[in-house]
Amino acid sequence: MALLEMRDICKSFSGVYANDHMNLTVEKGEIHALLGENGAGKTTLVNILFGIYAPDSGSISWKGQPVSFSSPRDAIAAGIGMVQQHFSLVRRMTVLDNIILNLRENRFVLDRKTARARVLQLADKYGLKVDPDAMVCDLSVGEQQRVEILKALYRDVELLILDEPTGVLTPQETAQFFDVLRVLRQEGYGIIIITHRMSEIMAISDRVTILRDGKQVAVLQTNQTTPDELSRHMIGRELKECYDMDQPAGQQVLLELEGVSLPARRRGHALHDINLQLHRGEILGIAGVEGNGQKELAELIVGIQKATHGSIALEGVPMRGCSVRQRYEQGVVYISEDRLQDSLVVDMDITDNLMLREYCRPPYAKKGLLNRRAMIQAARMLMERFQVRASGVSGESTAVRLLSGGNQQKLIVAREVNEQAKVVVASQPTRGLDIGATEFVRERLVEQRNQGKGVILISADLEEIMALSDRVAVMFDGRVVGILSRKEATVEQIGLLMGGIAQEKKGCHDAQ
Amino acid sequence: MMLSEKKRGVLDGISIAVVTLLLSALLILACGANPMEAFGLFFKGVFGNKASFAEIFVKACPLMLTGLGCAVAFRTGFFNIGAEGQFYVGAIAATMVALGLPQVPGGVRLVLCFVSAFVGGGIWAFLAAFLKTKWNISEIIVTIMLNYIVIYFLGYAVRGFLMDPSGNVPQSAKIEASVQLPNLIASTRFHVGILIALVLVAVVWFVLEKTTLGFEFKAVGLNRRGAGCNGIPVVRSMVLSAVLSGGLSAVAGAIEVLAIQKKLLEGISGNCGYTAVLIALVAFNRPVGVVIASVVYAAMQVGAGSMQRQLGVPSAIVNIIIGVVVVLILGRELLQWYKRSKKKA
Repeated sequence: MALLEMRDICKSFSGVYANDHMNLTVEKGEIHALLGENGAGKTTLVNILFGIYAPDSGSISWKGQPVSFSSPRDAIAAGIGMVQQHFSLVRRMTVLDNIILNLRENRFVLDRKTARARVLQLADKYGLKVDPDAMVCDLSVGEQQRVEILKALYRDVELLILDEPTGVLTPQETAQFFDVLRVLRQEGYGIIIITHRMSEIMAISDRVTILRDGKQVAVLQTNQTTPDELSRHMIGRELKECYDMDQPAGQQVLLELEGVSLPARRRGHALHDINLQLHRGEILGIAGVEGNGQKELAELIVGIQKATHGSIALEGVPMRGCSVRQRYEQGVVYISEDRLQDSLVVDMDITDNLMLREYCRPPYAKKGLLNRRAMIQAARMLMERFQVRASGVSGESTAVRLLSGGNQQKLIVAREVNEQAKVVVASQPTRGLDIGATEFVRERLVEQRNQGKGVILISADLEEIMALSDRVAVMFDGRVVGILSRKEATVEQIGLLMGGIAQEKKGCHDAQ
Repeated sequence: MMLSEKKRGVLDGISIAVVTLLLSALLILACGANPMEAFGLFFKGVFGNKASFAEIFVKACPLMLTGLGCAVAFRTGFFNIGAEGQFYVGAIAATMVALGLPQVPGGVRLVLCFVSAFVGGGIWAFLAAFLKTKWNISEIIVTIMLNYIVIYFLGYAVRGFLMDPSGNVPQSAKIEASVQLPNLIASTRFHVGILIALVLVAVVWFVLEKTTLGFEFKAVGLNRRGAGCNGIPVVRSMVLSAVLSGGLSAVAGAIEVLAIQKKLLEGISGNCGYTAVLIALVAFNRPVGVVIASVVYAAMQVGAGSMQRQLGVPSAIVNIIIGVVVVLILGRELLQWYKRSKKKA
């Protein structure tokens, strides 16, 4: 008897099937991977299981009994735990308090003593080392994840759902995390892991269910398949690994950062003495675990934040004192990692968003008056050229909030990557995009490089960094801890630098 | 069943109207009157004669301008609750110019009244905008506090330097006829100020919809951070919208002094500066919506007045009804927003 059996699950949102007759079976002691592009229906499926959505039709049987959960609380009570992609911890409470938060047995008086003993025992048993009295806000992301898992284990779950658990971890942390999963498997837990990283699926899972466009395409035994087969099922074609970057990067310095520093602010990381050079026709990859100063670095270059020390020069001319708009006019364009907050105004329509940079310049505006017709015309052209697809009939007047992530990103690329661009600062440009959109964005970046422009590619995705970069700079704790040439840049080397482990001879003063 | 957005809107509108009518009938019944008779008197009060119909626009005029002011500020996310105070600033400034420069010819003085009112209201709002953009101090608190300052300053002024020397009532001297805004329709109070208000609505609509400034306001209001990251001058937009907002409310104050009261006295605003917040909210910050909302609001007040005079049904009922309508309209919006966010999750 299977631990969990979901059969013929259907769920549609305003007429579109997110899950179309999905099946999923998980056995005891099995790690089952859910693989699929964004929008394939993975998250919908587990949300149905976890009681967040009600299915339109289909049945769920849990340990042989038919069940239907109307809230996560029911699901947890039945023995199903979920670790969300974005953790649901109270940052200003201790680890222990987070674990016992909202437990049914705590009617009124908290019994912290028993709880602590049990937490320590669980932590010890599964190798989830964490200090129960530490504040969650002081923990690293990896540690917070351990707390989330402990929280689930403490509630005696038998099935753990992990939504994109490794996105925020270094390669070394990921390896540790997998060790924990292996112990859990041995103890008979069922585990559902949602991921889009082939290497992780191959390394950890027993079986894979592959989803595409809301449908189940295949269920495979991991040891009888290959990454190629997986990606064929997932997308119907394979992701390009090589890009047309034959001619070497240029020698001429386009952008130079010298001794750039920024003090730590309430939200945000400090930067210490950043020295970087970007050449014409070069993609400079910036690797690092998220939150080590990459966002601040990007914002200093495009002018959203101001450096306290050091200088940033474009073609030898310092940009100190230049506003975001002036820098844009000089050719510094930005694809932000936070599309919805920083790059778009999602309640405005496609035309307005495409015009966020240019609206005040002819032909779109003369003497302060907008020329709507010219704006719409330009928008239609950009939409066509960059394959921005709006659902429905409203075309260029569709609100951007209604676009898919891929189309939103194409819109941003269409706006930023124009003829006058010289330096493209692209931060996590393909995060959350499906394969088609990912390739499209990457090809545009490579195109810019090949046209002799400079690209700064900030990404947490090492495969992306390695596929696209001429050189790789690694950031850790607000510093550039190493700059590697394409040849030197191996996953191991970058991974060590990312973890702040190797502060060795390849320090900040790398040959440029 | 899936309904188109438009049909859905109509359906919701009808349901809101039905709920409103039923509730009014119940409230009128509770007062011991016949609802049908009361409704009849209500409509007679609104459409019965020229003077009462014109009265709607007289009452709508200050609401329109202060509502427009709020709408302009809300566009950039500047939550100006200071229309009341800015109205007072306008009233005081207009009175001071009208009474203080007797040697200047009437027409010129009239223009100066409006200019000084607009500038005064603009400065009053600028104070809050400056604090907001410089140190991120809540504009809500600051504008409310500024209201108190100017409201009590008016009380001080009409007992002091602006007090009518020929009387001992706390109000200013009467403004001479050459500086008053003339009536347009005999035997009503329909005055030139109403036309000024409508022209300003048109101007503001044009600025918001057709200019780069309006584009900036919209972007800043919908996503301040995103606007800034794209190089849109966020601080300038917020300050400008606040100043424009304060100026419009102050013009309402000037019109009230120059067309209706013809002197300065306490309580001159009739709290329209606070009603304005509500008008802007139900109009979703659109100028045309502001016109509709303020006219409907004024009509309800006028009709309720007639109901009260003839049947003894308290006109406060109308305020209850208005409250309910606002909750229903905003509730509908909230529900849609909730549905959208749920769909996205």
